[in-house]
Amino acid sequence: MKERKPKNIFVQGPIAASFIADSIQKHSSKIDIGGHSIFLGQVRADKIDGKEVTSIEYTAYEDMALERMYTIREDIFKKYDLTCMHVYHSLGIVKAGEISLFVFTSSAHRKAAIDACEETVERLKAELPVWGKELLTDETYHWKENPQTP
Amino acid sequence: MSVKIILFGRLADIAGDSVSVDNVADTDSLVDSLNKRYPQLATTKYVIAVDKQVVTKNTVLNKKSMVALLPPFSGG
Repeated sequence: MKERKPKNIFVQGPIAASFIADSIQKHSSKIDIGGHSIFLGQVRADKIDGKEVTSIEYTAYEDMALERMYTIREDIFKKYDLTCMHVYHSLGIVKAGEISLFVFTSSAHRKAAIDACEETVERLKAELPVWGKELLTDETYHWKENPQTP
Repeated sequence: MSVKIILFGRLADIAGDSVSVDNVADTDSLVDSLNKRYPQLATTKYVIAVDKQVVTKNTVLNKKSMVALLPPFSGG
């Protein structure tokens, strides 16, 4: 069953490991799946001008991001033989070491899941209007920038 | 015609979350007007979205246009 309805991808704060475990568990009833691919984005304590990133505060143009994500999802389902795809992205503060992005694709055979997962991650980083404000040890901040955004 | 625009990320640091701009007919005149009011915007990288679509050419605006200024994305 392919998913066609637009859905919210945003969650407040970090994505808990237990939430990811539950998501995996829920797929045990879908016995046509033969492979899952999961990408987890974790906040990295980058050093910027001698200061360290302690957390990232995410904001988004949510309406536009959900529309873009819908288009990406449609494109990916057209291109790959997927059983399902789930995407979650944090808003608000996520500390270094915590998870801010969870992309989960499943298919009958591994290649579709692996390729679709990678392409979805690349596209959403380049196309979703989401911004990360890196909060630094001295309480200043730095706006993060992904390569290849418009 | 007055157009309300919303701003995100570092652009909101410069001009606030939302700004109303009077007497603008299209995105080019909007940019001119904003650059006069907020000189820092002129040297900051961003794209313009009209009705949630990024526009790359001058685009005619109406009073219902949803205009957003989007700095480089950094999700994930």
